[in-house]
Amino acid sequence: MSQLGFRFLARRTPRKDAEPKVRGLVKYTNDLEYPGMLIGRVVRSPYAFADIKKIDVSEAVRMGAVVITPDDIPQKPFNPRLVSVDEVTFKDTYVLTYKPRYLGEPVAAVAASSEELAQRAAEAIRLEFERVYKPILDPFEAMSPSAPRIHEKIMKGDKWIDVENNIAARLDYEEGDVERGFSEADYVLERGFKTGKRYHMQLEPKAVLCVPEPGGKLTIYTTTQSIHNTRILISQLFNIPESRVNVVKVPIGGSFGSSIQTNYLVPIAVALCLKAGKPVKIAYTREEDMLDHSNFVFHFKIKIGARRDGSFTAAEFTNILDVGAHQVQPYPLLGTSLGWFVSMYKWRNLRYRGIAVYTNKVPGCALRGYGAPEVQWAVETMVDEIAEALGIDPIEIRLKNYVGRGDIFWGQGPTVRSVIKSDGVPELLLKGRELINWDKRGRPEEKKGRYRRGIGVARGFHTSGAGGPISGEVIDYTGCILKLNEDGSLDYLTALQDHGGGTLDAHVKIIAEELGVPPDLINLASASTENTPYDVCTHASRGTFVGGECARRAAQILKQKIFETAVRILGRVVNPEALRIGYDEKLGETVVYVEGSDLKITLREIARTAWQRNWGTLVAAVTYRATSAPPSFTVYYVEVEVDTWTGKIKPVRVVAGADVGTPVNPDMVEGQLHGGFAMAWGMAFSEDTKYDPSTGEIMGRMLITDYKIPTAQDVLPPEEFKVLIANTYEPSGPFGAKGLGEAAMNPAVGAILNAVYNAIGVRFYELPVTPDKVVKALRERGETPW
Amino acid sequence: MVRVSFRVNGEPVEFDVKPSELLINTLREKLGLTSVRYGCGIGECGNCTVLVNGEPVLACLTLTVDVDGCEVLTVEGLSKSELTRVQKAFIEEGAVQCGYCTPAFILMAEYLVRSKPEPSIDDVREYLKGVLCRCTGYVNIFKAVLKASGSGRGRERVDKG
Amino acid sequence: MVVSEIPPINITARNTRIIPFEYEYYEPRSLKEVLELLDRYGDQARILAGGTDLLVKMKARLVEPRVVINVKKIDGLRYIVEDGEQVRIGALTRLRDVENSELVKKYIPALHDAVKSMGSIQIRNMATIGGNLCNASPAADTAPPLLVHNAKVVLSSVGGDRVLPLAEFFKGPGLTMLKPNELLREIIVEKSIAGSSAFKKVSRVAVDLAIASAAVYVEVEDGFIRNARIALGSVAPKPLRAVKTESLLRGLRIDSREVLNALKTIDEEISPITDVRSTAEYRRYASKVLVLDALEVAYARLKGGVHG
Repeated sequence: MSQLGFRFLARRTPRKDAEPKVRGLVKYTNDLEYPGMLIGRVVRSPYAFADIKKIDVSEAVRMGAVVITPDDIPQKPFNPRLVSVDEVTFKDTYVLTYKPRYLGEPVAAVAASSEELAQRAAEAIRLEFERVYKPILDPFEAMSPSAPRIHEKIMKGDKWIDVENNIAARLDYEEGDVERGFSEADYVLERGFKTGKRYHMQLEPKAVLCVPEPGGKLTIYTTTQSIHNTRILISQLFNIPESRVNVVKVPIGGSFGSSIQTNYLVPIAVALCLKAGKPVKIAYTREEDMLDHSNFVFHFKIKIGARRDGSFTAAEFTNILDVGAHQVQPYPLLGTSLGWFVSMYKWRNLRYRGIAVYTNKVPGCALRGYGAPEVQWAVETMVDEIAEALGIDPIEIRLKNYVGRGDIFWGQGPTVRSVIKSDGVPELLLKGRELINWDKRGRPEEKKGRYRRGIGVARGFHTSGAGGPISGEVIDYTGCILKLNEDGSLDYLTALQDHGGGTLDAHVKIIAEELGVPPDLINLASASTENTPYDVCTHASRGTFVGGECARRAAQILKQKIFETAVRILGRVVNPEALRIGYDEKLGETVVYVEGSDLKITLREIARTAWQRNWGTLVAAVTYRATSAPPSFTVYYVEVEVDTWTGKIKPVRVVAGADVGTPVNPDMVEGQLHGGFAMAWGMAFSEDTKYDPSTGEIMGRMLITDYKIPTAQDVLPPEEFKVLIANTYEPSGPFGAKGLGEAAMNPAVGAILNAVYNAIGVRFYELPVTPDKVVKALRERGETPW
Repeated sequence: MVRVSFRVNGEPVEFDVKPSELLINTLREKLGLTSVRYGCGIGECGNCTVLVNGEPVLACLTLTVDVDGCEVLTVEGLSKSELTRVQKAFIEEGAVQCGYCTPAFILMAEYLVRSKPEPSIDDVREYLKGVLCRCTGYVNIFKAVLKASGSGRGRERVDKG
Repeated sequence: MVVSEIPPINITARNTRIIPFEYEYYEPRSLKEVLELLDRYGDQARILAGGTDLLVKMKARLVEPRVVINVKKIDGLRYIVEDGEQVRIGALTRLRDVENSELVKKYIPALHDAVKSMGSIQIRNMATIGGNLCNASPAADTAPPLLVHNAKVVLSSVGGDRVLPLAEFFKGPGLTMLKPNELLREIIVEKSIAGSSAFKKVSRVAVDLAIASAAVYVEVEDGFIRNARIALGSVAPKPLRAVKTESLLRGLRIDSREVLNALKTIDEEISPITDVRSTAEYRRYASKVLVLDALEVAYARLKGGVHG
C-alpha cells in the first residue's frame, strides 16, 4: 500500500522533547527534590548466600537516622514484575530479608537528612550471621540433589509450593513427531550455546522519590516502564488502596527492560517514607544498580534435522535458564524463548524443554529482546552451518524456511498467537544481498594474511506487543485520553513511557495525521496513574503498535465529536459523514470542511464555540487490547575484520534492514538500528558480569571499569552504516505501523558472528567472544605467529 | 569548611564547602544544574562532563575546592535563548534519544568544534569516546557533530519511496 | 554446609556518588610546603594530583587517608623541557599536555602513543604523569614507554632529592619505592636519538585499561637491530623490562624469522595472571604480538625520520 499522502508520518520531524534535552532541562527522577526530603541508603548483604541472625540498628538510630529492617515490612513474598497473570506468577522476593540469596541483597535501609549522614548510618548497622554458605553460581551445580536449597517454599499465584533441586519454573512443549522427523532427516546438527550475564548499563541508575501526602496518600516518582504496575505492587505489598497511591511518570534515562519490574528500591523507599512520615529519595549508585538487575544466562542445547533440499524435518530445543537469586517472571521467558525459536523457521516437528534454575547471582530480568537476541544468535548460527553442510546459499535456506506471511506466529509464547499479515523479509534479504556485495564475500579457507574480512547475514524479528485474539497468560492492554482544549489544541494522556526511542512522539504524529493538527499543538500531558487508564508496560516493542493504535482510535472518536459539533455550528451540513478534517496550509490552521465546497470552519472556532456556548469538553477516553502481535522483521548484513594475531575484531560495514510497516519517524528507525547494533556488538565481544567463585561478588568491585560497552571509537562511521526500510503495511497497526525497539537488535549478534566465521572459519558458541577465545582457536590451527 | 568562589555559566557563586565535596554535587544540589549527570562516579561514563576554563573535565572526580577562581560551564549556560549550531544539529539529526547523556555530548562537541573547526570523523570519535551512550549507537551523534562543524556533509535519506 | 572462611564484602560502605568519609585537607602552594606536610603526616597522607585514581579508590573504600594533600595548585611542577640528551617532565604535567607536546612526539614517540591510548580526553585533561606512575598499576600505560627510554624519577623530601631508575621505582601492584615523606617531583627521560620507539596495547574497548601492553625502543643499522629495549605492562606484578629478550634481538635482521624466535623468550620474563579482563595464556601470547607490532612501528618511524 502506498505511503504517499501522509502529512506527518514517514517523514523526519524533530521530536518534541529534543530541545529541552539538548538544553539539559529535562528532569529525571534523581533530579527531583522535595522540601524536607530525606535521603535513603540501602544496607546490603556482604554474603551471597547466608542466613542473618540479628540486625543491630542501635548505632544508626542514635545517629538520628530512620531505620527499617525486615521486621518493619509485611513479610509476604512478591514478584516485582506484574506482566503475567497471577496464576503463573512465582513469588519469592521480600522487600528486606533475613535470608540474602545474592551478594548485595537488601537487608535493611536508612534515611537521613543528607547522603553523607545516611551513608554513615548505613555503615553503622551491624549484621550478625547464623550461617554462611558457599555461593552456587552454576545452574547445573544448583540442580544437583546435593546442592543446598536457595529457596525452600515460594508462592505460585496464591498457593505455597516447594522448590525441588533449585528449579524455579519449567515449561515443556511438543508438536508433531520429533523422532520421526529426525529419522527423515538427511543431516542432523546438534550444538550447545551459552551467553554472558549482561547488564543493561542504561545511563540513568534507578531512583525513586516517595512523598507522603495529606490524607495517607503517597505520590511516587520513579524510573519505571510501568507506572500502573508499580502502583498495583505497592498497593498490594503495603495494603494501601490504589486510590491512595499515585505513581507519576518521569522521563527515564534508558531502560532496556530493567524497569519492566518495579525496581527493589521503590518498596524500600515507600517503607522508609511510611516510617519517617517524610519524603524519601533513594538513588542507586552505579554499583548498586548492577546489583539490582542484569540479564538471565542462557544455556541452550539445540538439535535440528534437515533434508538435502534444505527443508527442516525436526528440532529439539533445551533451554536451561540461570535466573539468579529471585524470579523476575522467568516463567514467561521459558515461553518466549520457545516462541522466538518456533517463529524463526518451520521446524515441522518440535520438542522443547525449558528449565529455570536459581543461583546466587543478581536476579535476572528482561534485557532488550527477552531472550530473542540469544535464541536468534543460536538459530542463525546453526542455519548457517546447515546451509554450508548442504551446499545451499545461506540466504536461500532462510527464504525457504522462514515463518512469514500467512503463517501462525507466536513470538510471545504458546498462548499469544496470531497470523502474519505483513512481511518484508524477501525484500530486505535480497536488497541487502546486493548492497553488501554478498556474492563476492569468498570462503573462509580462501582468506589468508593477518587481517581477514568476512561478511555474515542473519535475520530475525520481534513481536509488536503481546496482544492476541485470546486472553492468554500475558496481560497486554492500554488506554489513553485525548481532549480538545478550548483553543483547538490537544492534551494527550497516556501511561506509556518513552525510554528514549521516541514512542510518544510516534503517538503525537499518529494523532496529528488523523486530525490534521500540527504536533506542536498536541501536548504530551504530565501523566500519572490517577489520570490515565491502565497500561501494562512499555515493553515488548509495543509502544507504537499498541499505544499508537490506541491514540489513533482516540483521535477517531474525537474527530467524530468534532464533526458533530461542526454540524451543530454550520447548520447547513446534513450529517457528520459529509465532513473532512485537515490542515489548511493557506490559513495555517486545522479546518473542518465539506469536500468540493468552500464551506469550512477552523478547529479553533469549533473548540471556542463549544466552550462559549456551554456545550462541554470534546474528549475521548479509550482502552485498547490489540488482537495480534505482528512480527517486525529485521535483517542484518555485517562485514567485520579480524586481526588474527591479537584476536581483536572490528566492524567494517553494516546493512541493517527493518520491516516496521509504516516508518512513523524514519530518524528514530535509524536510531534504533544504530543503537541495537552497538548493543549487539557489546553482547558479542565484551559484555558479561563475571562472579568471583569464592565470594559471589561481581568481579571488578561492581564498578563499570570492568563492564565494557562499546564507545564512540568502537562503532562505525555514518557512511558505513546503511539502513533499509521495507515497503510494507501492517493492517492491524496504526496507519500500517509496527514496533522496532527489540527487533533492531535481535538478529545482529548472529550476523556479526557469521561474519567472523566467514573471515576465519571458526564458530563460537559461548559469549562474549573475547580476544583470548579467538586467538586460542586460531593457535590450535597453527595460524598465529607463535 | 572551605570558602570557594568561582563563576558558573557566567554568574559568580560563593560557598562554604567541605573539602570532600564533589563538583558534581555542588552543581546539582546547590545550583540546580541537573544537566551534570551522575552515571558511574568513577570517570568511566563521562556523563558529568563540564567545561572548566574551557577544558572538559569530569565533575564526579573534581573537588569543588579545586575550581576556586575558575569559570565553569554546563549545558544550561551554553545558550540563553538561541540554540547553538551543535544543539540544533543534535535535534535535526535525531541524535537525541533518552537524553541522559546528551548534555555531556553537547559540551564535548562544542569543545571539539572550538578546538578543531573542521574535524574528521576520527577526530569526532576521539573527542566523543569519553561519553557513553546506550541508546543511539553514536551514529546520529557523529552526523550531528559533523553537520555542526565546518565539515558538515550531506545526509543519507532512508525514507522509503 | 556452613563455610566460615568466606570473606564478607562490605559493599554498603562503597558509594561512588560522594566521598563517603571525611579527611583533613591541605592545599599547599609550594613544593616546600608539600614536603613539610608529607614529613609531618607520612603514610597517613595521600597526594591528590589529577584525582582520577585516588578519588575512585576513596569512593570504593580501598584507601581512606586521614589527610589529603592537594598539589594541583603548586606552580612549577607542570613542564616538559629539553635538557641536552634528556627531556625533563614535571610530575604534575597532565597527560593531555604530554600528548600535545612536540618534544614528546619527537623524542619519546612511545610515550605519545601511550598517552593517546589512555582514557578519554576528559581523563587526560585531569590525570598527571606522576600520578599514573605513583599509582603503580601493572597496567599503567606511561610506564613501558618510560622504561624503554631509560627514565629516571626524582624523589623529593625535606632531606633533599634522590634519583632512581624508573625500573627500580616499582615494587608491585600499588607499591613503589616512595618513602612516606617523599614526592615524585620529576621524570627524566632519555631522548631517542639514534633510534625510535613505539607503544602498543590491546584492550576490550577503545577506552580501557590494557589487557597487555608493550613499548619498544630500537636502533637499526642496515636492517640489523643494533640495540633494542622492550618493556611490558599488565603481564607481571609491575611494568618491567624484558632484558633477556632485548639481548637476543641484538644483531638480528629486523624483519627476520629469528626475531619471532627471540621473542619466545618473553615467556620466561613475565608472570601474567588470569583475571576479569583476560587470561594469563592470552597475555603471554599477546605480549609477543605487541612487541612485534611496536618494533614495526618504531622501525617505520626510524625510516621515516621520526626520531631525534
